[in-house]
Amino acid sequence: MKNKLKIQRAILNITQAELAEKIEVSRQTINTIESGKYVPSTVLALKLAKIFNVSVESIFELEEGD
Amino acid sequence: MNNNLLISAKYKVLGWMLSLVFGLLGLLCLVYDFEFNFLSYNKDDLNGIFDNNNFTNEVALTGTIAGLLIIVFSKQKIEDEYISLLRLKSLQLSVFISYIAFIGINFCFYGLAFYDIIFYNSFTILIVFIITFQWKLFNLNKEGIKGEE
Repeated sequence: MKNKLKIQRAILNITQAELAEKIEVSRQTINTIESGKYVPSTVLALKLAKIFNVSVESIFELEEGD
Repeated sequence: MNNNLLISAKYKVLGWMLSLVFGLLGLLCLVYDFEFNFLSYNKDDLNGIFDNNNFTNEVALTGTIAGLLIIVFSKQKIEDEYISLLRLKSLQLSVFISYIAFIGINFCFYGLAFYDIIFYNSFTILIVFIITFQWKLFNLNKEGIKGEE
């Protein structure tokens, strides 16, 4: 699964740590999501979408093989 | 996702202290047959319920296992879903290694030696879990530093 977390974060101009604090996870977790190593739960995806004020689909996108 | 079995992160230090102190006591019991006098009793008084005269090694084993369990079940400072995934992976690996070791022991040791080794193997799940989990956390932090802007 691809994600545009880093781009969304850049638009909002917040650091990984700030984002992590807002959705109550560790900064390392944000880092693993951004690098595509970890696919977050629906709850976390919805929380992220809420922070960025966009739909979940505009952050996360299925790719071939998923 | 809540995991009700986990306890507060502040107990982790207690866990390490308990397992080190009682682990050391256990080693003293095993190697030097060390015993505390105040833990002795007359076994005839108990109508043979227990088969020895001293509880030092029982206390040492209980303390060590309690300490290791506290370490395993204490939360991280930020216990999120990725940490839960790391916990699961570490647990899978530790159960797997423990039973592979058990099969190996089954073929390699016989008689009393078998029971001795099985006794040590009962710690494998807890110890391998702690090592794997800490190693995964260490790597996570290392990657986190690299990924930081």
